[in-house]
Amino acid sequence: MRVAVVGAGLGGLLAAANLLERGYKVDVFEKLPFNGGRFTNFHYKGYEISTGALHMIPHGSKGPLAKMLRKVGAKVEIVDSKPNGTALYRGEEIKVSKKTFPLKSRLKFALYCLKNVFREVKLSELEKNLDEFSAKFLRAFLGWSLSLTPSQLSLSDVYPIYEATYTLGGPGIPIGGCKAVVDALLEVMESYDCRVKREKVRAIRMESYGLSLHFRNTSERFDAVVSDAGPVETYRLAGLNVPKLEESRGIKYSIALKEPLIDHTGVMFTLDTRRICGVNQVTNADPNLGERHFLMAHQPMITSNVKFEIAEGLKDLKEILKGYEYEVLVIQSFSDGWPVNRARAGRDCSNETPVKGLYMVGDGAKGEDIEVDGIAIGIERVVKEIEKEVEKR
Amino acid sequence: MIVVTEKCVGCATCMLVCPSRAIKVEGKAEVIQEKCEKCKKCLNYCPVEAIKWVE
Ligand SMILES: Cc1cc2nc3c(=O)[nH]c(=O)nc-3n(C[C@H](O)[C@H](O)[C@H](O)COP(=O)(O)OP(=O)(O)OC[C@H]3O[C@@H](n4cnc5c(N)ncnc54)[C@H](O)[C@@H]3O)c2cc1C
Ligand code: SF4
Ligand code: SF4
Repeated sequence: MRVAVVGAGLGGLLAAANLLERGYKVDVFEKLPFNGGRFTNFHYKGYEISTGALHMIPHGSKGPLAKMLRKVGAKVEIVDSKPNGTALYRGEEIKVSKKTFPLKSRLKFALYCLKNVFREVKLSELEKNLDEFSAKFLRAFLGWSLSLTPSQLSLSDVYPIYEATYTLGGPGIPIGGCKAVVDALLEVMESYDCRVKREKVRAIRMESYGLSLHFRNTSERFDAVVSDAGPVETYRLAGLNVPKLEESRGIKYSIALKEPLIDHTGVMFTLDTRRICGVNQVTNADPNLGERHFLMAHQPMITSNVKFEIAEGLKDLKEILKGYEYEVLVIQSFSDGWPVNRARAGRDCSNETPVKGLYMVGDGAKGEDIEVDGIAIGIERVVKEIEKEVEKR
Repeated sequence: MIVVTEKCVGCATCMLVCPSRAIKVEGKAEVIQEKCEKCKKCLNYCPVEAIKWVE
């Protein structure tokens, strides 16, 4: 069985490592000169600036990604957040647990869940009925973790995430940042003599037997193709009608701090802001991620005017960091071909495509969880599907 | 000359890899032509092919 993987983002690399471990022959093709896509880092001015992610694994060492990394033998050390999160509210940092929310709001949540059994109700309906703290927390939490607002989501979109967070726990930070995960996967692949090939895939075609990948001047045959290029690009490459997908967009700030702002490894959600939903100080988990304290702040893009969104975000940062000496090292915005998420929470495409033998992985084809943990669940499914195909033959 | 097109999303990958620190990004990439060594690294690293080389 020969399998091709299109794209060496986290999804592609993780899929490749899994397939190699099961004994398949795998070739990985990547159009960019670097591996890891939106989940790696570049060293810049003394800091490990990531190409996308906030150096966080949603459910830390207990989540689906960590489990999968252990299974394929990828050595990554993950520091679980303690506490999971705090909230900056009226100038004070508050520890967040179930009890932080007033009983009345917890009851409103239960009632809201019940209502959803009968019809789909937007989370903004719930927001309206909550006390100020709970409402602001909901907004900040969704903005940080999904780059979306309550009016863009309903319970069914987020319930699996809520459940996973409840049972698996909060985030963790890999020592070495995102790139450590990518490097560990490349090492696993290398142990099977598999190296990423620098080729842009230009088309995927169905053949009488298997599939073919087309490059600038050549083409190659495979039994199956796993695409990490995202649903839009994958369908385009296969000559199919491109699915309509709503992505999530956001802006990330990487900040160097002289004095620490927070003293833990979790997220501090910021509640009294225009845009910024939260900050994490990743050097608390791994001091080697930056020369000084390394803070990241994240906001969703509410309007489509990027310059305006950044101006609002910078105003927030000025307030959050009042009295601190800081330098904004990098401002990164994510949309279109390079978004925060290719599909909004709960709207992922299936891992299977209309083309037999062509599968999708990555953040447009996640399983029931968020970000890289959702990617791991999707990959598990694809591997199972491919094994089923092999058994049939 | 290195030119940034409309496709730019502002992800700053080009700025992170430019060996001459000739790129600034705030919503969109801007090349400081006087600093640019014309190595074309940014062009290859841009994930959305937003950078073009114009003679
Ligand atoms: C600001 C921000 C913050 C985030 N924070 C977190 C976080 O803290 N935790 C978390 O878990 N997730 C986070 N995410 C999400 C996470 O980064 C993504 O879900 C993940 O990196 C997506 O991986 P992927 O493999 O699906 O896609 P990508 O990383 O985009 O990889 C796709 C790869 O395919 C290649 N490719 C595309 N087309 C072709 C082709 N035709 N031929 C060859 N190669 C091709 C691309 O070049 C790319 O390398 C964040 C994202 C952003 C933007
Ligand atoms: S890498 Fe490309 S998309 Fe990203 S900021 Fe630079 S030019 Fe824009
Ligand atoms: S061509 Fe080279 S020096 Fe010029 S902006 Fe791009 S990366 Fe920087």
